[in-house]
Parts: sequence; C-alpha cells; structure tokens
Amino acid sequence: MDVSERKTALSHEILMKAEKPARYTGGELNTVIKEADRVKVRFCLCFPDVYEIGMSHLGLQILYGLMNSYEDVWCERLFSPWTDMDRIMRDEKIELFALESQEPVKDFDFLGFTLQYEMCYANILQILELSGLKFLAKDRKEDDPIVIGGGPCTYNPEPLADFFDIFYIGEGETKYRELFDLYESSSSKAEFLRNASHIEGMYVPSLYEVDYNDDGTLKYMRPKYEDVPVKVRKTIVNDLNECFYPEKPVVPFIRAAQDRAVLEVMRGCIRGCRFCQAGQIYKPVRERSVETLKKYADAILANTGYEEISLSSLSTSDYTGLQELLEYLIDECNRKKINISLPSLRIDAFSLDVMNKVQDVKKNSLTFAPEAGSQRMRNVINKGLTEEDILRGSKMAFEGGWNKVKLYFMLGLPFEEKEDIAAIGELCEKITELYFDTVPKEKRQGRVEVSASSSFFVPKPFTAFQYAPMDTMESFLEKASFCKKNVRSMHNQKSIRYQYHDAKTTIIEGIFARGDRRLSAAIINAYKAGALYDAWTESFSYERWMKAFEDAGIAYGNYIFRERTEDELFPWDFIDCGVSKKWFYKEWQNAKEGKVTQNCRAGCSGCGCGTFQCGICVSR
Amino acid sequence: MAVARIKFSRLGPVRYLGHLDMLRYFQKAVMRSGISAKYSEGFHPHQLMSFAYPLGVGMETKGDYFDLEITGAESGDEIRDRMNAVMNEGMKVVEAAIMPEGEPAAMAAVAAADYLVEYESGKDTDMAFLIGELMKQDEVFINEGEEEAEHKGGKKKKAPKDIRPGILEMRMTEDGIFMKLKSGSAMNVRPADVFERLLKFSPDQTALKASRLIRLEIYKEKDNTLCPLIG
Ligand code: SF4
Ligand code: SF4
Repeated sequence: MDVSERKTALSHEILMKAEKPARYTGGELNTVIKEADRVKVRFCLCFPDVYEIGMSHLGLQILYGLMNSYEDVWCERLFSPWTDMDRIMRDEKIELFALESQEPVKDFDFLGFTLQYEMCYANILQILELSGLKFLAKDRKEDDPIVIGGGPCTYNPEPLADFFDIFYIGEGETKYRELFDLYESSSSKAEFLRNASHIEGMYVPSLYEVDYNDDGTLKYMRPKYEDVPVKVRKTIVNDLNECFYPEKPVVPFIRAAQDRAVLEVMRGCIRGCRFCQAGQIYKPVRERSVETLKKYADAILANTGYEEISLSSLSTSDYTGLQELLEYLIDECNRKKINISLPSLRIDAFSLDVMNKVQDVKKNSLTFAPEAGSQRMRNVINKGLTEEDILRGSKMAFEGGWNKVKLYFMLGLPFEEKEDIAAIGELCEKITELYFDTVPKEKRQGRVEVSASSSFFVPKPFTAFQYAPMDTMESFLEKASFCKKNVRSMHNQKSIRYQYHDAKTTIIEGIFARGDRRLSAAIINAYKAGALYDAWTESFSYERWMKAFEDAGIAYGNYIFRERTEDELFPWDFIDCGVSKKWFYKEWQNAKEGKVTQNCRAGCSGCGCGTFQCGICVSR
Repeated sequence: MAVARIKFSRLGPVRYLGHLDMLRYFQKAVMRSGISAKYSEGFHPHQLMSFAYPLGVGMETKGDYFDLEITGAESGDEIRDRMNAVMNEGMKVVEAAIMPEGEPAAMAAVAAADYLVEYESGKDTDMAFLIGELMKQDEVFINEGEEEAEHKGGKKKKAPKDIRPGILEMRMTEDGIFMKLKSGSAMNVRPADVFERLLKFSPDQTALKASRLIRLEIYKEKDNTLCPLIG
C-alpha cells in the first residue's frame, strides 16, 4: 500500500477544525502497519489521556513493541480524544478508531487500558462510549473486545471492576503471549475468561463475589468457582537483560511531554519510603546491565534520531552501574551532539560533576525531595535523606555555581505535628543562609532561589500507610496556609518561594486509591455529569464528584478518613504483590514509633519478595 | 562548511503537522541519516536548519525546501539518498544540492509559489468560468470588512488588501486549479484567500469546498525570471 494514500478516519474538514489534528492521524516514525486479515489478534492499546501525555509513557512503548513482535498480533494505539474532538465525534456520530489502521475500536479483539492515575477513570468511560461499547462488562456482547487493564492502578482495581473483563496485575512483558494463545484457542468469551484466571497475574473480576459488613468494610471476597484462584499473584520479569525492550519506539511528530529517548536502568526501588506505593509494587529491585543499556542507547538513537536521552527508574542514583553508564553516555552524546537530560539524582560530588558537564549551571536548579521538614517526620516516613545530606549537597552546589534549589514536601502525613510543618520553612531558611555563608558577595550571581512545593498526602494500598487516616480538606488547607505563613516569616523569605498543590483532587484520588466495587456507580454518575480529563485542573470539578458520590449513596468519608485496623479485610487483599500484609503492618507500627527500616541494599527486612527469587533478594 | 538545500514532499496524512513539527521531524531525520550537520555551540547544540516557507497545517507539498549547514563534503545526491533511507510515510526528499557560495538563504529568496487546489463542487459549477471572471478583475480585495482578532481591548479593522497583482497565473488543469502566486515580504498571497475570492463569483457557494491544497514549487527571482529554489 502506498502509505501516503492511507485513509484517515476523520475527514479533511473535521481534521482542519481540530486543535491538533496530528493527534488523530497516526503514521509516526516506527509505527507498525500490518495486514489486518493476516493477524489473529488485534489489540487496541489505550492510554486514557491526551496523545502528548500518553506518548511519553515508556510502558506503552514497551507493550506496543512487544505485542507487534508477535507475528499473529497487531497492536495499535489509542488516546483520549481531546475535548474539542470529543464534541465533534459526538455531534457527527463518529466511532472511535485506533491510530494505525484508523479502524473502529469496536472491531478489535482486545481493548487494553494502561491505568496510571486515578484521575483518568472518567476518561475510560469516554473511550468506551465513543467506541460504542457498554460501560459494564456484563452488558457487553460476545464479539465486543475483551477490555483489559494494566498499570499501577490495578493494585486496587476494585473501583473499576465492573468495567473490565480482566486486570493484568504485574509487568506486561511476561504473560501476554500466553494470554493470546489462550484467546486463539478459546471458543467463547466466557471460556477464555475462566481459563485466563488460571494464568498468573490475571484477575477476572466477574469470577469473584463480594459482600460488605454493616460498617461498610469488606466482609468477604471470594472466587465463585473452585478452579479460580483465591489470590492473584503479580507477574514480574526475572531478568531485565532477557526481556523485550523497545529499541524502535514510536517517535511522535507533535511535541510530547517527553520528547526523547528513554533508558530504563532498573525496576523497583531499594528504599522503602512508607508513603510510596511504587517502591513496594515494583519490588524487588532488578537492574539492567550497563552492557545491555549501552546497546539499547545506541540502537534507540540510531532508530529514532532523538536529540536527547534520559535515564529512567524510581531512584536512578541507586543504580549500581550509574557512573560507568554516564561516562559512556557523556562521551557518546558529546560526539553525536545529543543532550543528556538527567533525572533528579541524589546530590553529591559525583552527580554535581556530571550535571556540570551536561547542563548549564546558571539555568538549572537542584532538586531535593525530603518529603517532610523535620528529621522526626522523615523517620516516620522512612525517608533516608537527612538535613545534613541536604545541607552538604547544597553547599557543594553553591560552590559549584548553582543558586537555585527545589524542594519537594508532603503535607498531611500521618503523625504530623505543627513543628514538622514549621520545619519546612526553617529548612528553606537554613539553605538560604548557607548560600550567603558559602558564596562571598562578589561571587554571587543573581539571587539565591529556594522553591519549596508541597503536595497533600494520599494513603495508598500496598504501603505501610494503607492503614492511615487521610486528612480532611479543611485540615490540608489549614496546614498549607500555616506552612505558607511560616515561610513568609523567615528572615530570608524573599529568596524562598512556596506553593502547594490542589487539595480537592487529592481527596478524590484518596477515595479511589482505597475504594471498592461500589464506587463504579459514582464514576458513571460523574462521567454522565460531564467529568473528563480530571487530571487537568481546568476540567476538574470537585463538586461534580461530590454529587456523584451522593447520588450513588456513597459515604465517601469511610474510604479515607478512618484509621484501618490490623484485622480489616481490604478490597485489594486478594492481590499478592510479593510483600506480605504482616510486613506492611509492622512498618505501620515502626512509623508510629519513628523507627527507621533499612533499605534492601543495606539489609533485607524480610518483606516477602524473596519468593520471587530474583533481583536484589538473591544478589545481596 | 557548506549549505545544502533540500527539496522535499509531504503527502497524505502527514499534512496535518505544524511548522515546528516539521522542523523537529527533519532534525531527527538528519540525525538518523548521519549527514554531517553543523551544530550551534552551547549546552544544547542544535542543527542549523531553516525552512524556505512554513507549511500550514493541512497543506501538502511536492516542492518545499530547507537549508542545512553541513561540515562534510557530501554531494547533493548522497544527501538525498541518505535522507530517503530514513524517511517516514508521506515524506520524501525530492532533490538536494550544495549551494554555491553567496547564494541567499532559501527563506530570504522566496518570490513565488505554485499551488494546486483540488475541490468538491456542485454539478453546475463552471470553474473555468469562475477563474476567468476573477482574472478579469483589476483589483481583488481581501480582508474587506473583516475584523482582526482582539487587539488591545478593542477590535481593529484589517486593512483591505489588493492581491490581484500577486496572482500571476491561474487556470484549470485535469487535477484542479493551478495557481502561481507571489510570495515573500513584498507581496504574499495565500491560495486559500484566492480560492475564497473565487467563491464570490459562484452561484452555488456552499457546494464549493477545497479538499486538498498542494504546493507544487517555490521560486526565487533570478535575472528577472522565476526559477525554482534549486536551479
Ligand atoms: S526512593 Fe522512596 S519515594 Fe522514591 S521510589 Fe523509592 S521508595 Fe518511592
Ligand atoms: S525480601 Fe528483602 S531484599 Fe527482597 S525486596 Fe524484600 S526487603 Fe528487599
């Protein structure tokens, strides 16, 4: 086929009306076009947010490349139509289509969603509706696509349970082949789903029944049939050097949020910050070898022409091959005129030296994520970053010519006191003082700038803080304004900037994070009332969500404001993420006592992931 | 050190890219091709690439150009072949040439451009007649009574402009309407404006719609005649 003659699903007239028509036309470099009648499985891979966000996501590129490496499978992409196109598609009754073939989503075998954040839940319903599919899995027809979800939100998929046929719990590289084989040999949807539930990591919500206690907590969740497993264990890659990596990622035409080559250096994190879900669900830490990464870097740059490369992982400073890898990249990239965009590294002599080589010191700022202002609080959350680390790092940086420092904090953490919040301003003040002490007047270029920002804490499943009550909105705002006042009272306040994130979104996120199956009714209500793109402040409405809960008869406070006890059954307990519930509870107790737990490299705290028999659990 | 001038086409769905998207696309393509592009100094070096005439979203082309500074001794044909080895659907390098020393930059040299407008119309539209009517006029004004976008609180009328001197040629061909229009800083005529003026003479305005707009060639002025930017 002459590709320039490829038909677009939308007419020229409609495309010319769109804000960014290239979001809908496909055809980017490295996209895969197959002959539809030569494949057995057509998979529509959807990131339920706008194109530029979705195309920046590494996980999407991994699955796209992996699935298309199977000869019998054609994987295509789909993103949420932006609000302008949403309106046009409704007005003109146009069915939603996948980018590559431009053919209707409805005709695919699978519709897969990557679920990265709670605030995209309304967008899932938009995709279903515009595709002409019913919201509820039970209402969809035999030949409608199998709707499957993956990504971090599947670690509590219950609020979405009614919409999905399957949740894939764990890393996408491992089980899709098996799932497709099963699909090809199944004679009905029911048979396929039943057998899929036998594959590790596959959760088929319709095969489980739940009931609740009078107080609203979960009474039980159990398989409806004997052959369906009681627990769903996450599936992971044992050796990252052996699994698929997208060496030919799709290169967007329009500027995506991440317009660069990405090297995932490792998966998981050795640090067990008690608020952090990613640190737990991606355990154990597994690294890629420097050799593998060099090979990927060369291949990706050659295949894409990207002018920038970056490293990705939860905590790149902890990657053991960092120095060797960066030395190689700096050399190569200098030669090829490629920029290196560094992730936020722990500030020390090494990282400052590297930053000096690849960035303009005057323009860039240093980033610290102490997450809490006081040492006491950092012990509670098990953040192994001390004030001394921050001050030492800042001093070195000031000596090296930097004068901008960024600090990230959280407010509303469990056991937080006024002093802990006040400590945020004090820490900022100390950093500015340090600047004046370190850099003599004649050497100062511009003013020292410390920007602190805080987000509000959301307790997440599979963390020590899954037991914690969340703050109310009033309390959040009180704390933020106290923090602000405190910062403003500092002597050097002119050099300190402070801002805080939106509290309203936080509340909704909190509800879905630890919610249950009853919430799906509220999602439908909110969507019908116009919820869409809730991750975007301009389209988010708190009042709309509140009304949606009310109309569904949901007392949302019950999901967020109470402390949970050790023996409570959680909606996500059926998932075995490797880390035991006992360990989380122990960590909750340690938090109460302000006791620090060592990181995986310093010593194993016996979280339970040893059973995966890989990564740091066996290499230590 | 030399300047390579590269002539390219973009056809099909890639026509919906904006100008900056095109720039980014070709920067990456040059990177993949391994051509010896010259880079700017500084922490974020970039290629020294400049386009002759930004392509609007939705417009196709068979003859657009950009200049690229190179450090090596590649020939035009070599550049063309290496670029085409890494092109994407819908994009193609038609021709490339090393510019003689002292040649003005493509962007500054643009004097005129050819266009083909494909259109949909009602059965009774006699396009040759409409074109004849338009070409008979001594003056063809655009912006008449049109208001400029919000301008410091108040609305300002756009000054009406006579584009007739900029319409160098217009006729029917098998594929659509051919136009040769003046371009550049002195007089710049957009094919969409001309097409819209044509509608004025049509009894059946609603049925007439441009469905495809293709730039065919861009010209510079040499010894008082128009000749393509390479040549
Ligand atoms: S360092 Fe802490 S916050 Fe960061 S990923 Fe690891 S556990 Fe999470
Ligand atoms: S078993 Fe030990 S080493 Fe392995 S992830 Fe858990 S705490 Fe870390």
